[in-house]
Amino acid sequence: MEVEEDGAAEEQQQFSYRQRLKAAVHYTVGCLCEEVASDREIPFSKQTIAAISELTFRQCETFAKDLEMFARHAKRSTINTEDVKLLARRSNSLLKYISEKNEELTQFNTEQKAKKKKKLEDDNTKSVAPAEAAAAGKDGS
Amino acid sequence: MADSYDGDSEPTTRTLLRRVLDTADTRTPRRRRSARVGYERALSESASNHTDYGSGLSRIHGNVEEQTPRTLLKNILLTAPESSIMRPESVVKPVPTPQVVQSSRRDSSRGSLELQLPELEPSTTLALGLLAPGRRKQRLRLSVFQQGVDQGLPLSQEPRGNASASSLTSSLNLTFATPLQPQSVQRPGLARRPPTHRAVDVGAFLQDLRDTSLALASPGDSLRTPVATLPTDTVLEDTQPFSQPLVGRSPSGYHSLPCLSHTEVEDAERAISHRTQSSGPRLQNHSEYMGHVAQRSVRTEKSKRHREMSEAVEAKEPEGSSGDEDISGRTGKGPSVGMRDLSSEPLEPLPTRLPPRARTPGPRPRQDPHKTGLSHYVKLFSFSAKMPMEKKALEMVEKCLDKYFQHLCDDLEVFAAHAGRKTVKPEDLELLMRRQGLVNDQVSLHVLVERYLPLEYRQLLIPCAFSGNSVFPAQ
Repeated sequence: MEVEEDGAAEEQQQFSYRQRLKAAVHYTVGCLCEEVASDREIPFSKQTIAAISELTFRQCETFAKDLEMFARHAKRSTINTEDVKLLARRSNSLLKYISEKNEELTQFNTEQKAKKKKKLEDDNTKSVAPAEAAAAGKDGS
Repeated sequence: MADSYDGDSEPTTRTLLRRVLDTADTRTPRRRRSARVGYERALSESASNHTDYGSGLSRIHGNVEEQTPRTLLKNILLTAPESSIMRPESVVKPVPTPQVVQSSRRDSSRGSLELQLPELEPSTTLALGLLAPGRRKQRLRLSVFQQGVDQGLPLSQEPRGNASASSLTSSLNLTFATPLQPQSVQRPGLARRPPTHRAVDVGAFLQDLRDTSLALASPGDSLRTPVATLPTDTVLEDTQPFSQPLVGRSPSGYHSLPCLSHTEVEDAERAISHRTQSSGPRLQNHSEYMGHVAQRSVRTEKSKRHREMSEAVEAKEPEGSSGDEDISGRTGKGPSVGMRDLSSEPLEPLPTRLPPRARTPGPRPRQDPHKTGLSHYVKLFSFSAKMPMEKKALEMVEKCLDKYFQHLCDDLEVFAAHAGRKTVKPEDLELLMRRQGLVNDQVSLHVLVERYLPLEYRQLLIPCAFSGNSVFPAQ
């Protein structure tokens, strides 16, 4: 009985979680549609926005499953940018966009790493210098 | 003997075959050697019975008194070197040996002919059907032969061609039954033709036969026919002097051999070179897809996969909506189409093995090699539609199938590259089927294989334990 209750409660929790997610997606889709409507001056009906948000939610589920399958297919346990690129291979523009973003990110990462390295080196030299000075001072005295 | 000559000017292959069948009695097949002897015996016996036929030939072969038409036919079948046509003496040589055998065994029953019968029977229907187009060629060749040799052997040519045709068709039938048997399973004893002994004319006739059979058979079978033609190819040679006259008459339209390479590669799945251990389903598809897919990875696994897929797809085709353009059998997405792509791949390596035929006949029917495999699926589509369809609609269906299979093949390629491989493996196929929704947590790939593929494919794909702790296909 307790297990059942727990199971049912968990299911309810899951369900409410999904509902909240769906609501969030719906809100975002609504905002985007409003933007497009104001741009093109074509109003969007509520049903359209609801349909788009439902579609987006389901597609997100599919994407997630596909990403997991791709990662497992490449014998990895983490989803990579390669998996994402594989997912977006259908539409050329999206693929290009993703690739560019990926390159930017890698560049940024390398820059960050370089900065960190530099910082570390400076710290090392700084710490070494006072240590030497301290040692020299000690020896001297 | 000379009196009871039939009204027919020349015994046709059909009548000869009928006579053979009438005289043959049922018996279990024996070894080839005994079969041959028995055949000769039966031939001689039946020849003696049907005097009209014998008389006709005995008139022709005045110099060789003992030679019966049957023995002559048999000799030609067995040896028949090119030169023998021009030099009748060489033909005479093998005759005495069977003669001796015949005379010694004349007493025994005529069951020997039966040895041929089990092989002839399944092929008779096919051979008779195929004889119609081939008969004309036979007659033409006969006239040529008569020109070449004064005492022509036209009658022997026909039956020889018929026998070889039947043997070819029987061998074809054999290959149809088990197209992808591993070599160890095949029994060489069942091979009917000695590979070295092959006459030019027979080769030409076989080529014609093959072309017509290929033309008659659905493109789906073309996957198997190349396998069937492989052993004959080594035998068939361009023999002078009759190759030129035959070239013009051969059914040039059906040079389906090169077409085979392109057919059935519809499915992106990759060509199936031959069956090896591959767990993935294979699809028989357009060769073109298979072609460029095969360029990247020609592996048996892939081909197996494709074949499986094609089978699975074909099996599911009736289920899927006929109106679905995206039916590509590849991953069982649905009805069938995707399979086609895969099947084309396996064909791709096979045609490359076939030697290019030097003589290209004249005009051949314009067959787009890329679409040959698709036409099979389009026909299936029009059949499932249960209502008349416009040609334009069928063309559109073909185009969509084309794109679909191309898409599937590209996907397979990308999946293989994603896993850091250059070869498409069953895992890639399974991933594709997962994306299509055919394979999920409830239904695995093996379940689909069991459900839709025939046993021969299943035993190649699903590992099974055999005696001696051996698992085939090896994991």
